[in-house]
Amino acid sequence: MSDLRQAKNPHAIPGLYRRALIDALWKFDPRVLIHNPVIFTVEIGAVITLLLFIQDLFGKAISFSMAMNVGGEETVGFVGAISAWLWFTVLFANFAEALAEGRGKAQAEALRKMRRDTIAKKLDNRYAIQKGKPPEPADYQNVSSSALRKGDLFYVHTDDTIPVDGEIIEGIASVNESAITGESAPVIRESGGDRSAVTGGTVILADWLIVRVSANPGEGFLDHMISLVEGAKRQKTPNEIALFVLLIGLTAAFAVVSATLWAYSWYSVNYATGTGTVVSVTVLVAFFVALAPTTIGALLSAIGIAGMDRLIQRNVITTSGRAIEAAGDVDVLLLDKTGTITLGNRQAVELIPVDGTESMDLAKMAQLASLADETPEGRSIVVLAKEKYGLRERSVMATETTPEMQFIPFSSQTRMSGVDFGDVRIRKGAADVMFAAIQAASGSVSDQLKEEVKKISRAGGTPLVVTRNDRALGVVYLKDIVKGGIRERFAELRTMGIKTVMITGDNQLTAATIAAEAGVDDFLAEATPESKLKLIREYQSGARMVAMTGDGTNDAPALAQADVAVAMNTGTQPAREAANMIDLDSNPTKLIEIVEIGKQLLMTRGALTTFSIANDVSKYFAIIPVAFASTYPSLGVLNILQLHDGVLSAIIFNALIIIALIPLALHGVKYRPMSADDALRNNIIIYGIGGVIAPFIGIKIIDMLLVFFFGV
Amino acid sequence: MAYDADASSGSNLGPTNPALIQQVQARVDTLHAADPGNTQPIPVDLVTASGSGLDPDISVAAAYYQVPRVARERNLSEQLINGLVAQQIEPRQFGIFGEPRVNVLSLNLALDDLSAGRISVTPSASTYTPSPEDTSLLFGLRITDWIQLILFAVVIAVLLVPVGRFMARVYQGEPTFLSPVFDPVERWIYSLSGVKANEEMDWKQFAVAMIVFSVLCILVPFILQLFQQDLPLNPSGVGPVPWDLSLNTAVSFATNTNWQSYIPETTVSYLTQMTGLAVQNFMSAAKGMVVLIALILAFSRKSITTIGNFWVLLVKSVMILLPIAGIIALVLVSQGVVQTFNGPATVPLLNPVNDSNGNLVTTQTIALGPAASQIAIKMLGTNGGGFFNANSAHPLENPTPFSNFVEMIAIVLIAIALCYTFGLMIGSVKKGIALLIAMCILFVPLAGLAIWSETSGNPAFTPLGVDQSPLHAQSGGNMEGKEVRFGTVQSAFFAILTTSTSCGAVNAMHDSFMPLGGFALLFAMQLGEVVFGGVGSGLYGMIVFVIIAMFIAGLMVGRTPEYLGKKIDPLEMKLSTVIIILPIFVILIGTAFAVLTDPGRAAVFNPGPHGFSEILYAFTSTSMNNGSAFAGVSTNTLFYNIGLSIVMLIGRYLVAILTIALAGFFAVKRIVPVSKGTLRDHRPLFIIWLVGVIIIIGALSFVPALSLGPIVEHLSMIGGGLIHV
Repeated sequence: MSDLRQAKNPHAIPGLYRRALIDALWKFDPRVLIHNPVIFTVEIGAVITLLLFIQDLFGKAISFSMAMNVGGEETVGFVGAISAWLWFTVLFANFAEALAEGRGKAQAEALRKMRRDTIAKKLDNRYAIQKGKPPEPADYQNVSSSALRKGDLFYVHTDDTIPVDGEIIEGIASVNESAITGESAPVIRESGGDRSAVTGGTVILADWLIVRVSANPGEGFLDHMISLVEGAKRQKTPNEIALFVLLIGLTAAFAVVSATLWAYSWYSVNYATGTGTVVSVTVLVAFFVALAPTTIGALLSAIGIAGMDRLIQRNVITTSGRAIEAAGDVDVLLLDKTGTITLGNRQAVELIPVDGTESMDLAKMAQLASLADETPEGRSIVVLAKEKYGLRERSVMATETTPEMQFIPFSSQTRMSGVDFGDVRIRKGAADVMFAAIQAASGSVSDQLKEEVKKISRAGGTPLVVTRNDRALGVVYLKDIVKGGIRERFAELRTMGIKTVMITGDNQLTAATIAAEAGVDDFLAEATPESKLKLIREYQSGARMVAMTGDGTNDAPALAQADVAVAMNTGTQPAREAANMIDLDSNPTKLIEIVEIGKQLLMTRGALTTFSIANDVSKYFAIIPVAFASTYPSLGVLNILQLHDGVLSAIIFNALIIIALIPLALHGVKYRPMSADDALRNNIIIYGIGGVIAPFIGIKIIDMLLVFFFGV
Repeated sequence: MAYDADASSGSNLGPTNPALIQQVQARVDTLHAADPGNTQPIPVDLVTASGSGLDPDISVAAAYYQVPRVARERNLSEQLINGLVAQQIEPRQFGIFGEPRVNVLSLNLALDDLSAGRISVTPSASTYTPSPEDTSLLFGLRITDWIQLILFAVVIAVLLVPVGRFMARVYQGEPTFLSPVFDPVERWIYSLSGVKANEEMDWKQFAVAMIVFSVLCILVPFILQLFQQDLPLNPSGVGPVPWDLSLNTAVSFATNTNWQSYIPETTVSYLTQMTGLAVQNFMSAAKGMVVLIALILAFSRKSITTIGNFWVLLVKSVMILLPIAGIIALVLVSQGVVQTFNGPATVPLLNPVNDSNGNLVTTQTIALGPAASQIAIKMLGTNGGGFFNANSAHPLENPTPFSNFVEMIAIVLIAIALCYTFGLMIGSVKKGIALLIAMCILFVPLAGLAIWSETSGNPAFTPLGVDQSPLHAQSGGNMEGKEVRFGTVQSAFFAILTTSTSCGAVNAMHDSFMPLGGFALLFAMQLGEVVFGGVGSGLYGMIVFVIIAMFIAGLMVGRTPEYLGKKIDPLEMKLSTVIIILPIFVILIGTAFAVLTDPGRAAVFNPGPHGFSEILYAFTSTSMNNGSAFAGVSTNTLFYNIGLSIVMLIGRYLVAILTIALAGFFAVKRIVPVSKGTLRDHRPLFIIWLVGVIIIIGALSFVPALSLGPIVEHLSMIGGGLIHV
């Protein structure tokens, strides 16, 4: 198990809660707390009531009964209890934030271990790369990895840890990337192509590489992620700022409501009735804290950090919190066909003989020709021949293999494979290549063959032609296999209002067939980097948010243009740099999960805001009758809960609810794909109506416990 | 000596004011002393004061109650007088509107004629039997009350579409049936003033134009008042208005508040009324509409930096208001609203009386003036500034139940039709209607509360032997401060209409409403004057609430919130939040400041929590640009004239300018296409959510203050213990 995996289980982090508690204490510092104005005002209230408590302690006869006495003159015990619970409120809020940060820090720690200083074999500036030849020890010197700068070259070979991120200039090696992906299967990294990027912290298992450093120390992707999860560089996202503004506005409004209440109460006592006492400062402070959106105020930053956290748990790292939120807004998903919608590879599903060939003959020849084709497509032909025609690989070998048998392996240049023995030349390959070969040999391609090839193409399949001595035997029908469950996934996305677009290099016909089978909304066939870029711009000009995944260098422009761009970790350095997220698992389906995490993040904020404000309604019924009972006993009618000490009970509830909701803030609200209207209805019922009812019950229970333990 | 009918007014005594109970007791005692044998319950309007102090009518019940005494004193048979009263009953207007009633003057003249043998009457043994629709209650109201309320809703529903469409066409520059007249005028105005009609403004230019024009709108009536004594059209010869009162009045009319610290009849000349105040009735309403249209243009178009041309929208708004106001003015004149340049009329009293100083009073002065033209726009533009002090309770400002009905229609017509206009202009009528439905959901319970509270009557009256039942040939209920011709239900309904919109015209004295009635009126304003609100300002206030509601709802569905396809970013949230909490701040801090200071407290008229309500009402009404008052409060002091001017300026212009900025920020945004991920902002679910957000923001902000005002007044009242000081 890698370090990152370990960090994913918060309970596995030793001392997480203890450290969070210690951090929470540090956050009482006003200079720190001022960044969370809602909770900062609670701290001010706590200080005021504490001073009142101290004053009362030395000024009045000491009575530790918690309850207010009838005249409204509160006891020292009451002031002390309110003050204590206000401090607890601040503590709980700090704790929530510290806990989220603690988890983030643990992850940052794990990430940091991956890029701890190692010895790097830095190549001399004047070193000239020779193709296929590793450098001599004289060509490099050992330096600390932190001394490497962007553009430097270094050399790694078997058992070396790759010191920093970079791009392979020369060589090919198998690399263990389990440190970041958790996958122990080694991957091949080589220069050129789409697998040329290496990540610091991964280990070379065999062979060697020459790598160019792609980022200065502290500027790599990991470094960004570390500072993000640690909260050091966690800038508030636009939605978070907008919510923040609303919360500050509400807090200010309630501060005015509470402060002016003193004036009204003073007037009522002195001019309206001439009796009673003015509402006390302690009660007003409590009133304000109960009204202010403390619940969401306390949990807001924890929600943000936890969102980042959930992303890491899914092995995705990002350079900005903004990207996660943007993911929630995505209207269009551009998905690569291969790997996302279909299983990575086409599979042979049928063998169609032509020009009077026996089907068993075709099967034998197709299998023979594919023996040297190590691609999954080639393997699938062998498997088909075995399963459908009972041709075992070994039996073919036994009866027909002769020492002079010469295999011609498949290559992407020739797009064919085959075998020669004696005079017999068996070939299997892409239709156009084979047509050319047949035409070169005999001049014409039979109509039947043409027809079969066309039929398969029209059905969205890929035809491979099998020949013997340049004479067509038949066609292999290769078909894209759509991933199980993907159709349902797209239907879910559709209910969420997200459009899926399949991107493929296939021709229109093939693309349309697979698109229909997979249930995507649209497709882009014969995709080129330019056409992808154009498509993204078109959607964006219609004010849609576009997300895509990519791994190749030619994806980079499109990735840079997309609002949410996820690069595969196996992708090239340019692709990774253009993206704003990297999926360490290199799983293109991850994009859908990222969208869900983004939505869940916003939903959690919205739900807790609703809950927090809905709570106020019941708190009113708890506090107002008690607060004004001294001026107007008739307001006691509003005390529908029959509370003995509504003020203290409400404040205790207000503090405890923060603790109670920390798990929700960290895990996010339950997310299911559904339309916006359905989601709103569910959340209004749970957090809106529930938010009104829950405090009624909670405050009543607390009140009864207060009576039980402390009496009245 | 002349009885001065110039300063029309109600008693403004609060429902729990001991002085009110004493007065009612005294009247009861007087009636009993005059007719010791009559032990029947006394019809409520005989022992309460009317809204205008000039109510010419008494209820049918009140007329019959006095039959035995009159018969005895005039030496006529009760049957004969019964017959005469039956003749004198004025039925509901057109069989529908108002209350059956008896004109006191007419009855007395007829009695004189009968005594002198000039007329003959068929004697009648029985007293009046009300029709069946008046003698049973359906959900607490008489059928006749329901008919009037339902008719109101029907007429509004019928007018909604044509008026809404007319306004949309005018704003979008499409031809209307008035184009042949108005288009040349419009072009002429532009060419004369040098306004380039096809040049739009960005929000900053728009705001500057708004500020410049508004300063002008304040200066003109301000200066007119200071120098009215030297200007024409001043038949009563009123002198200059003190500067602070002038300022208050000028600001009040320019801000569409029409808070009246002055007594119109004796303070301002006809010239001031017409060129200063009536013109501002048009301009202030038009300004509200202009800001709304700018906001609509911001939402209905994409990626554009301009939000329309202020001057063009202003001219178009006035062009909309003028013809409709003209029609209403004609209807009002047909109902007897005065429209004359003559000075006050002095008429001899038929029955000279001694005033409180013992002097013999032989004549009375009746204030007149060009009222109808001003009253039409006063209602239509949700201004509310009365031509006379008693406002729409005054018999010359609102003479008949039908004129009352027309005035009520005029109060909400534009505000409601603008919802339809909004829908048309953003290309989705149902979204406009959705907002209207939200308004109605907020309005109906408040109206119900006001009507229920007023028809239930004052429990303190019942032990005194006062009959407040609506089933006994009277409207019944709490008739203190109300006019007999309108009755309790139509007075309460008028009151809730005028406070829900930012009109502020009154046909009954709000100060004398029952505590919960007063609560409904206060809370209707404290919801932000978005139900239905002032013309323009109500809907733009509502849209800001929609932005707040949409923001939280948007988060809850996991998407960056948007409204009408425009994303709501931090900047828009900042503005929206400030727009919503600004009036809350102003009301609460203003009220606190007033109750803590001597000049602030000096204004209070009624004792106990009701006095607190008066101050709260004053700041609520001015901040929300309503203009109605718990009118016992005396605010013609330096403290209030200046203080409330500031409150009105913030409540109107700061909010309007922030809204213009908001329009500017939304205008530049792109429009996100609708998908299933889009929250449908016209569905019942969202409407309910919007209503919930508005109520919660309003309630959380104001329930504590209301608890110490109307709520505790109500609880104390039903608890049996009135507050005595």
